[in-house]
Amino acid sequence: MRAAIEAAAEGLNVAVVSKVYPVRSHSVAAQGGINAAIKDTDSWENHMFDTVKGSDYLGDQDAIEILCKEAPRDIMELERMGAVFSRDPSGNIAQRPFGGAGYPRTCYLADRTGHGLLHLMYEQLLKHEVFIYDEWHVARLVVEDNVVRGIIAIELRGGKLHRLHSKAVIIATGGYGRVFHTTTNALSSTGDGMGLALNAGLELMDMEFVQFHPTTLKRTGILITEGARGEGGYLLNSLGERFMANYAPTVKELASRDVVSRAEKTEIDQGRGVNGCVLLDLRHLGADRINERLPQIRELAINFAGVDPLTEPIPIRPGAHYSMGGIMTDVDGATKIKGLYAAGESACVSVHGANRLGGNSLLEAVVFGRRAGAAAARRCLACAAPEFPDSALRDSAHDIADILRRDNGETASALRQEMTLVMEEHCGVFRDSEKLIAGLAKIRELKQRYGKVSLSDKGDYFNSELLAVLELGHMLDVAESIAAGAVARKESRGAHYRTDFPRRDDREWLKHTVVRKEDSELKISYKDVNISRYEPKERTY
Amino acid sequence: MKIKFKIKRYNPAEGEPAEPYFQAYTLDVEEGMSVLDALLKIADEQDTTLSFRRSCRSSICGSCAVNINGFARLSCATQVMPEYAKMGDMVIEPLSNHVPLKDLIVDFNPFWSRIEKVAPYLTPTSRRARRRGDVPARENDGARVTARDEEAIDKSQRCIMCGCCNSECNALEIDDRYIGPAALAKAWRLVGDVREGNSRKRLERLSEEHGMWNCVRCVHCTQYCPKSVSPLKQIESLRSRAMKEGVLDNPGAKHVEAMADSVKRVGRLDEAAMTFRTLGFLRSLGMIPFGLKMERHGKMPKPLLFPQIENIAEVRDIYEEAERLEKEDRERKKG
Repeated sequence: MRAAIEAAAEGLNVAVVSKVYPVRSHSVAAQGGINAAIKDTDSWENHMFDTVKGSDYLGDQDAIEILCKEAPRDIMELERMGAVFSRDPSGNIAQRPFGGAGYPRTCYLADRTGHGLLHLMYEQLLKHEVFIYDEWHVARLVVEDNVVRGIIAIELRGGKLHRLHSKAVIIATGGYGRVFHTTTNALSSTGDGMGLALNAGLELMDMEFVQFHPTTLKRTGILITEGARGEGGYLLNSLGERFMANYAPTVKELASRDVVSRAEKTEIDQGRGVNGCVLLDLRHLGADRINERLPQIRELAINFAGVDPLTEPIPIRPGAHYSMGGIMTDVDGATKIKGLYAAGESACVSVHGANRLGGNSLLEAVVFGRRAGAAAARRCLACAAPEFPDSALRDSAHDIADILRRDNGETASALRQEMTLVMEEHCGVFRDSEKLIAGLAKIRELKQRYGKVSLSDKGDYFNSELLAVLELGHMLDVAESIAAGAVARKESRGAHYRTDFPRRDDREWLKHTVVRKEDSELKISYKDVNISRYEPKERTY
Repeated sequence: MKIKFKIKRYNPAEGEPAEPYFQAYTLDVEEGMSVLDALLKIADEQDTTLSFRRSCRSSICGSCAVNINGFARLSCATQVMPEYAKMGDMVIEPLSNHVPLKDLIVDFNPFWSRIEKVAPYLTPTSRRARRRGDVPARENDGARVTARDEEAIDKSQRCIMCGCCNSECNALEIDDRYIGPAALAKAWRLVGDVREGNSRKRLERLSEEHGMWNCVRCVHCTQYCPKSVSPLKQIESLRSRAMKEGVLDNPGAKHVEAMADSVKRVGRLDEAAMTFRTLGFLRSLGMIPFGLKMERHGKMPKPLLFPQIENIAEVRDIYEEAERLEKEDRERKKG
């Protein structure tokens, strides 16, 4: 949406196509905040260093420099658009400490930062008269001679296929958390854009780096913000110990997410968990602070885990949260296909490298969304509309008719269940060669079976089952990319932890993994990391 | 525990016109399971043709509002066990005041159009206007918003646009052109923002027919809002801001003034006199058939013109005290 606003402000004719209404998109669930060095005592260089270190030195430093330098400008712009970030007593924008950051630089709107900013983007879409095709699912990207021509999309309401002819397309479809069984992500976070990109011939980068968030609610995997620890929450094991002292003695609970998730998993695996969880204790913060700064967290804990954080600790465990990897782009969101851009979680610029810091994802979406929108606008103003191939609509219609025609096969939901369990078991917080190879084989087997999936709803109106089949196709592609990258990377870096290769290996592996599809097979290659300011060092918290 | 779910089904492809019907599904429910979990389980295991909206499943995206046992709720934030224990039934229907499209999915376009009608984006005071001194000093502050300013719009910012309030709104049920509580809460988000430059224009537009004065204060919107937005509170804020800013040339504001005057004058509501004050002479004539109908049903207040109540002096004391307090408050704010 940020990209659409930027392009619309240039006077272009812009539309947003989304399988959900824009205010339903999963950025709405981002809680904790958005980072920017806006105080005199902080600097963009500090923010950059924290981000580089957090990325375990895999982030591209040219991109990170842009992210951190432009952050304050974007925060002020969001305020001018109408956001009201929470204030400190003197009326300035308040900031809270976040994991892996050497300075409290996370701006926030209580614990609903994503909600506030997503609704703000929606307001601006209306202000700029951007056309919204809501509940339209993109069936394919139309590309010919390495130039994007537009898209084909299904209108879910009536099942009709439409062609949208355009000079530029920006993919901003978010993450793929639903590939895993335990995830903070929405049911709609199925990695569609990454799947579409692979099929259009684009490259995905660093897909093996999956962020597992340390604090997700027991059973449901619903997110409990890092802000809860930022405000001073403790993590306790079954013995009542603040176990983070053993893993990150200086910053304890505020170590980077990968570090905290591994610590929790170790405690649970070694028998110091509580019913497969550890405990997040907020009681010592007191009712006032919890009600003022973390009202949504209290509500979520009560409604979804039956626990009131004022009187009881919250049972939490790690869950799949964020995709560091994604569609490979340059710092303007451009891909190798002309006119095709990507931004946000679905893209990999890469600013997060092997592990993202809390508060950097909304920032990435805003900064690089804006840049991608501007770049796409420049291209649109400079070129004529390319021709739209007649065959595209026909081909899509055939694909969908093929799915609808099949009978007596497995259901998409059964296959999806299997896939999420395989990914959890084989590509989780702790990985090793044996588990990964077996996991990759299982995913490939599931892909074979996917070809025979059939559905019982053959209708046109809101065919949720058809949508589930299309989503599953993308998820399987994404799952395979994750597993293939993870099998190949024989080191531990950031969120990718191999028990058989527990050390980081800069000599062999200080490089990005790049996967692309060739004749429906994944091919892996590698790309150098951009290192400008900060040479790799050992990473401790 | 096995629980039977009665779900309203509707598919426009099944006939001309297609009729909605109930279908029952029996499901093994575990402790902690939400209605959304149950719907997902039914769709996964029993009936893949069942359609309903969903996304975040943590009560922040606003997709999954449905009617559960007669009331608008977020299906993700409603647990089955306690609901079943309380109501003894699980009847799931699409939201009221909305047109169903398929099964539990309703047409949300009218909802979005209502939101669009309030121009839901900040239109800040222009720099030029600030330089010219066209705006009061408080608004002159540009981006500086204090914690107190934030507080004034805090509740209205929490809206997730799920449609529960509109679904339960009584005023919307009788007037489908009414703008509705969700859009009005959004309107206060902007009117109540110290940076907004067009508050008065917004209030004038909201005072038109089918606008904020249509609310009948039944409190349903506040009662059924899953995010404590309290739309009614926001509507009241809009109304009282409009009165303060002198946006008075409309039946709603006149009605309020007439009511206040009537109580001050005779100590009670003088309904006949209020009708004249609210609608003016000509439009009051139009109310004559309605008055006759009231008379027929024995609902006409008698006598038509009220004498003063006995202790009118006490009522006037209350007014004086209220006016004094308001004045004090105004001066304190100025100081």
